[in-house]
Amino acid sequence: MRLMMAWATLRRHPARTTLAVLGIAVAAALLLDMVMLATGMSESFRSLLLTRGYQLRVSPKGTLPFDSEATIDGAGAIVRALRANPDIKAVSPTLGSTLTIDRSRIPSAFTLGLERDVQGDYTIEAGSDITHADSGTTAPLPRIVVSQTFLTRAGHAIGDTITISSGLDAQLRTSARSSRVVIGGMGRFIYVPGETPVIALDLALLRQLLGPSYRDRMSLAMAESRRGDSASVEAVRAWIATTQPRVTAISTETAIRQVEERLSYFRQLAFVLGAISLGIGFLLVATLVTLSVNERRGEIAVLRAIGTQRIGVLQQVFLEGLLLTSAGIVGGLALGLVTAQWLNGILRDFPGLPSAFDFFVWSPAAGWRALALLLTSGTLAGLLPAWRAASIPIARALREEAIG
Amino acid sequence: MVDMSEIGMAGESVIACEQVVRSYPMGGANVQAVRGIDLRIARGEFAAITGPSGCGKSTLLHLLGAIDVPTSGRVLVNGRDTASLSDREATEFRLRHIGFVFQRFYLMPTLTASENVELPLAEAGMDKRARKARARELLGYVGLGDRLDHRPTQLSGGEQQRVAIARALSNEPALLLADEPTGELDAETGVRLLELFGQLHRDGRTLVFVTHDAVVARAAQRVIRLHDGRVASDTVAHMRSGA
Amino acid sequence: MTHVLAAAAALACSLGAIGATPLEAQRASGQRDSGQRDSAQRGIAIDARMAEDLGLAVGARVRISSKPGEPGDSAFIAAIYERKADPAEVARREYRVRLHLDQLQQLMELDDRVDRFAVGTRDGQSIDSALARINHVAFGFRAHKSRDVAVQSSRTFRVVERFHFAIGIITVVASAVFLLCLLLLSVEERKRDIAALRLMGISRATVVRAIVIEAAIVSLIGSVIGAGIGWIASLIVNAHFQELYRTPLVFALLTPQIFAFATGLSLVLGIGSGAAAGWRLVKSSPLALMGR
Repeated sequence: MRLMMAWATLRRHPARTTLAVLGIAVAAALLLDMVMLATGMSESFRSLLLTRGYQLRVSPKGTLPFDSEATIDGAGAIVRALRANPDIKAVSPTLGSTLTIDRSRIPSAFTLGLERDVQGDYTIEAGSDITHADSGTTAPLPRIVVSQTFLTRAGHAIGDTITISSGLDAQLRTSARSSRVVIGGMGRFIYVPGETPVIALDLALLRQLLGPSYRDRMSLAMAESRRGDSASVEAVRAWIATTQPRVTAISTETAIRQVEERLSYFRQLAFVLGAISLGIGFLLVATLVTLSVNERRGEIAVLRAIGTQRIGVLQQVFLEGLLLTSAGIVGGLALGLVTAQWLNGILRDFPGLPSAFDFFVWSPAAGWRALALLLTSGTLAGLLPAWRAASIPIARALREEAIG
Repeated sequence: MVDMSEIGMAGESVIACEQVVRSYPMGGANVQAVRGIDLRIARGEFAAITGPSGCGKSTLLHLLGAIDVPTSGRVLVNGRDTASLSDREATEFRLRHIGFVFQRFYLMPTLTASENVELPLAEAGMDKRARKARARELLGYVGLGDRLDHRPTQLSGGEQQRVAIARALSNEPALLLADEPTGELDAETGVRLLELFGQLHRDGRTLVFVTHDAVVARAAQRVIRLHDGRVASDTVAHMRSGA
Repeated sequence: MTHVLAAAAALACSLGAIGATPLEAQRASGQRDSGQRDSAQRGIAIDARMAEDLGLAVGARVRISSKPGEPGDSAFIAAIYERKADPAEVARREYRVRLHLDQLQQLMELDDRVDRFAVGTRDGQSIDSALARINHVAFGFRAHKSRDVAVQSSRTFRVVERFHFAIGIITVVASAVFLLCLLLLSVEERKRDIAALRLMGISRATVVRAIVIEAAIVSLIGSVIGAGIGWIASLIVNAHFQELYRTPLVFALLTPQIFAFATGLSLVLGIGSGAAAGWRLVKSSPLALMGR
């Protein structure tokens, strides 16, 4: 009966209740978004890094992967040493550069040289994978994989033959080295920004194109620990740090921490805005319930007079606050998912961000967290007016009503 | 007419007031609304408390109903000293032993007539089916058997007051208290309501109502007249139907 | 695009400071460290954050190389500079070093290469015509206006700006609903007072006008107080993030335009909701408002 009365009380003033629910819904939506933002970045980045199972990144000493143009010399020895470690399951060396595209709508494209069998940088979406550059005049042309952006902006299709070059002398308009290749497939490049046209080709071919100085170089290597637990990964990382002084090895957790540090502004913003939205919701519920109690002093006094205990009145008023909050939460969760999509779309426009990276990530944990915070806030907001309602002096309230 | 202040009624007392005083702080001074009232009301009695505005009628009614506690003196209802009750005990006491009817009805506007009557029953822990049956019975008793699902806004003033009376009777209280029950009603409706009170009295209930209208007061068996917080007169009058 | 300066940041700066003796003191003492060539010791400039973190001061001697483990060149800290407030660099912990161009080219074995030229025109010269003339004779390179480049490179900042704007919209909507709700409640709470006024003979229009004026005053006072709180909050935000990211960048700024917008919006909402609530009440009969 209390629930029914609480609901009936809220329905008494539909305009007021609707506005309050709307206000709580917007606050709830903002809170959910901020919870998603606070946890989403690290979750998104973690899943990004672990997409292909590689838990470690090996980059030039003192740098983050692809954070600079620096490369690692003596790549072959390093890769062999890593592969010789029984605790390491797989190693994927990568070399990054920019190659020019002859007679194309785009003059150049970011290029990744990879070993097909161990690469962890892309997934094939259409067509076929890269091939080695076989020697011999009758050997088929090597195949490359490109991104959708490349196909769109360069105006090419799978199956097209193109010429890629390096060592461009802009003044003489000549290239030092070129190779004709076939676009074998289209891939989704996990770590490259979506707006960047990308080419993936065989590592040996890229080194060949870049010239003798790149014969034994790589930009980065990804390593997968045989045992996936964090202790084993850390042990492998420490071993690399000890045995390979010219490189820096970072684990997924370290990488996440460093990215979080770079994006810490958003976490702090999420915290501040989340707190503000909780505060708004709290104030709205508390104000509405308080005013509702003030309006119904006589009614509440009569309830007490006919035998309703204090706890009964408290429950009654408390339920009103909780119902308001709950109605707002339902609307807010739905609205929050919509606004999260909107906000995520804005932030995804950050230059240099991997296309698979999201700022706002929905997870049941985020939903539960937001729900718990909102319910707690709504509970506390209704408590004080509920207690005041339960403490109304009956005789005085009835007297005041009689005078009024 | 018999002066009750001298003789006292035979029979068990439902209410006994012993030198009851009630004062309130107001604007820096202490105002005595009730100044040393001695009063007994027997079971099955039908009494009206009357007097001019500000004489302490409603205050006395609140004291009798365990809504308020005296500043000094004792109020015994069914043998229980109301001042000795904790808030929880007093509330429970009101629920089980006292029924209230107010001038402004104070029905919950969002509940139907039946649901309003069920309120005290729900508080007393009665299950839903039993509550509904009891509410139906009581509303039938007060002549509103066909208004069960009507909301207060769909009822006339007289009908709302009848619903309030049904609500007050829901837990079979020993005592029914009414504060200006005809105050918001027109004369004709007021008369019909008083007839209902008469019926309740004939059915054995103990009723005390407060009114400033001496004419309305004569509907009761006994008229206790207050003046300036004291009992000015206490007489038994014959029940008259109508005026 | 290869950035010489970015390459400089990626230099494996082996900053094993060879003592921290100020240059002036070294000259005065007339001492020379063995293995150093005075003529090769050229001055470099480092950013303030790097100086603070590594405990370097002007005059400190360092060694710089392009690869870890290489001997490289020795140099001294000729200047410490404050980095400009660039939003794109917030939260990036890298250090910045400035060298003479030929020194860096030599270290990086880049011969006669640069990433770009910055060109300044004389006063009164048209930038467009200078741009056209350079591009006409350009062979292998292209000239752009600095403003156009800035538009591209400020994309990070613009994304953040759009994000903040979006958050602002959501917050304004929430606050607007909140304001409407509260004003509606506060007017409804006084319905008996309004009923009494009407019974006394005060016209509907007067009652509504009074409510609207009250709502406007409350909105105005609330805006001023809110602006004050916002200003204090912006000081705290700026102090916190400037300390955290070690940047002179201003993160939150309360401008007269923002204050005018906030005040204007809350006035509009306050007046609107006051009028709506007031009109709702005066439409009912006074007795109904009294509850009779």
